Amino acid sequence: MAAAGSAARLRFAGIAVLVLTLICAIASILAVPRSTEPFTTYAGATYAHASTAAHAADLAAGLGLLSAGLLGWVEPRTRRLGLLTLLAGIAWFGPDWEGWDGGSPFLRSLGAVVTPFFLALLFHLVLALPLGRLRSWPVRVVVIAAYGVAAFVSLGRALFRDPFLDPYCWRNCLYNSFLVHADPGVARTLDQIWLRSSLAIGLLLVVMGAWRLLTASGPARRVLLPPLVPGVLAGGAASAYAVALLRTPLEDPRSAGFSSIFLALSLSVAVLALGLARGVLETRRTRAAVSRLAGELGEAPPPGTLRDALAAAVGDPALEVAYWLPEAQRFVDGRGYRTESPVPGHGRAVTPIVRDGRPVAFVVHDAALLEGPALEREIGSAARLAVENEQLQAEALAQLEDLRASRARIVETGDAERRRLERDLHDGAQQRLLALSYDLRVARAGAEAGGDQGNATLLASAGDEAQAALGELRELAHGIYPAILAEAGLAPALATLAEEAPLPVELGEVPPERYGTPIETAAYLTVAEAIADAAGRRATFVSVDVARENEQLVVQVRDDGAAGASALLNIADRVGALGGSLEVRPHSVRAVIPCE
Amino acid sequence: MRVVVADDVMLTREGIVRLLKESGIDVVAEAEDADGLLRHVQLTQPDAAIVDIRMPPTHTDEGLVAAQQIRAEHPEVGVLVLSQYVEPSYAMRLLEEHPVRVGYLLKERVFDVAILVDALRRLADGETVIDPTIVSRLVGRRRREDPLAELTEREREVLGLVAEGLSNKAIAARLFVTERTVEAHVKQIFLKLRLDTNPESHRRVLAVLAYLRAGVGAD
Repeated sequence: MAAAGSAARLRFAGIAVLVLTLICAIASILAVPRSTEPFTTYAGATYAHASTAAHAADLAAGLGLLSAGLLGWVEPRTRRLGLLTLLAGIAWFGPDWEGWDGGSPFLRSLGAVVTPFFLALLFHLVLALPLGRLRSWPVRVVVIAAYGVAAFVSLGRALFRDPFLDPYCWRNCLYNSFLVHADPGVARTLDQIWLRSSLAIGLLLVVMGAWRLLTASGPARRVLLPPLVPGVLAGGAASAYAVALLRTPLEDPRSAGFSSIFLALSLSVAVLALGLARGVLETRRTRAAVSRLAGELGEAPPPGTLRDALAAAVGDPALEVAYWLPEAQRFVDGRGYRTESPVPGHGRAVTPIVRDGRPVAFVVHDAALLEGPALEREIGSAARLAVENEQLQAEALAQLEDLRASRARIVETGDAERRRLERDLHDGAQQRLLALSYDLRVARAGAEAGGDQGNATLLASAGDEAQAALGELRELAHGIYPAILAEAGLAPALATLAEEAPLPVELGEVPPERYGTPIETAAYLTVAEAIADAAGRRATFVSVDVARENEQLVVQVRDDGAAGASALLNIADRVGALGGSLEVRPHSVRAVIPCE
Repeated sequence: MRVVVADDVMLTREGIVRLLKESGIDVVAEAEDADGLLRHVQLTQPDAAIVDIRMPPTHTDEGLVAAQQIRAEHPEVGVLVLSQYVEPSYAMRLLEEHPVRVGYLLKERVFDVAILVDALRRLADGETVIDPTIVSRLVGRRRREDPLAELTEREREVLGLVAEGLSNKAIAARLFVTERTVEAHVKQIFLKLRLDTNPESHRRVLAVLAYLRAGVGAD
């Protein structure tokens, strides 16, 4: 019911805004005189009288704001910004109404009341880019202060300024329908207050606008740039106007200084209007793209689609979608990989996508580009179903990922055990056997020296046995785990493997850098097993190539042996546990191991 | 001859010391890690240091690092690295920075005291010592089109001895031929294998090992 009421109110407001804008546009076109009309300071005059250029620029700026505002008002996401733009457009024509030679005195007085609000509205508009909201309370305070000063000056002038008594009057020196008590002193003070305030507001606009532009994130800057730059320039022109009036109180639209300031201001405002219109069209495109997602997501999308589609639709490449897995108590992305908890901050906003009262996904996006509620609203029910499907898929993928990680842990534990065994052999049995062989040697020398030939022979053969045992033990230890792999890396270990091989092995250049132990072990064993398999198939030659391609280590072993290559299942398991893949073909084995 | 012995396993260290003493070599100090070894070398200025490749704290290549440091700081001290690994890459790493007065022998090899003593002598003479097991594995490696097939039996024998680090004079003594004959063989070998290192330079051992290791001749 409340929703229906607010929809009706919105429709009424929409019609009202439309009518008001049309009236304003027509009135303004009527009010703005042709530059060929005589410039008469006593009857009525504006900048549009001064030159054809000023005439065109005046209309371009005002009508541009009105059109951009109307466009923005029609698009739901930019309604606030559109309203602001419309109001700014109306206020822009204030001076033209005021100087309307032949216009009604009431309208001309109203024009004078409206005029000061243009600067406050411009200020508000530019700082509220791109979505029409002021982001922090200091900005809000400054904007409210600008409106306050404009309202104070406008009201004061309406009540106390008699244009007839103003020595510097030029646009309208006859009428003030709201005059209560003519007081030229008060009017003069108000003028001074307004000039200083507009100088301050113009400068603040330049500084705050530039700061906003410098601190915005990449995608936000792309959106902000077209309207913000002319907005800042308009602020500069407004302060220049204030400075000029402080120095030369008698404003002359035909002087070079004043007319160039007016042209600069009008052109900046016209370009600002273009920038705003472009922003509205961009927003409309984004919204359409998000709405279209529903259809695209419906057709069994591959994992991660929602993120990519949303990122493209919103124009925010850093956009992330996180799914909460209640059972595993963690967040994962569309591919099932664990992600950080979505937290707003640093210009990022988090928008939950709810289905059946339960959040199924969280979208982390640039706060400047997209309003969470708008996204929530526009993701239709069909897309919500697709999002929930993707959540379920992410959950399944996360379980698969858990399984893979557990396989990797099992393989790693096994490898660590083998490494430990090799160390124990090296530091234990091998050392003892070495010491024994040294002792046997010394004993044999003693026996020889003592002339005990029988014992010397016995000790010599015992020494030989110990040597043979040492050799076998060394081979065994190397077979259990090649120490060189852990200590010096893949390149030297593969070189040794190639040297020991029972058939010619041509080893290409191996990248010298180190990867993790599991990756190096998997690559090493791929080569070792592939060589052994090729030898078993009576190959006469094996070539081994190892290369790093992007984030992957690619191991390729080719041979010329007989058909019937073994599937190398244990290697496939090992490589699979690292998230890689093993491809066995009749004469080649190719392992791709991720190694970011 | 005065030597320092470094090995963290007491059993093997004592075995080596006993063998050395048996052969009349003066063991002036024993160390169980790289720091102790460097300290003793500094203090005693021995003729050679016998170093285990695997020592605390990480038990990986501390011996190699210490060996290189000794060679850099004490050019007169030879270093013999003992290892249980038949790994040419370790031996070559040892040769890369300081190609003379270094040796890489398998621990079980020094069971033959004559070989140990001979190795120490060769180091003192400015030669290099590479374990014959490593050399024979490199020479005997399977190759698709073996460039070594172009060498005569005798030349292959000489190549192996060059790779083991023997000087022409030592090779001549070993093969009972004149030094001039060995020179001619070496020149011929380098020519046939297209090795562009000067056959008489200190770097020839490394060049030959690298050549054998590359496994060239496959295409």
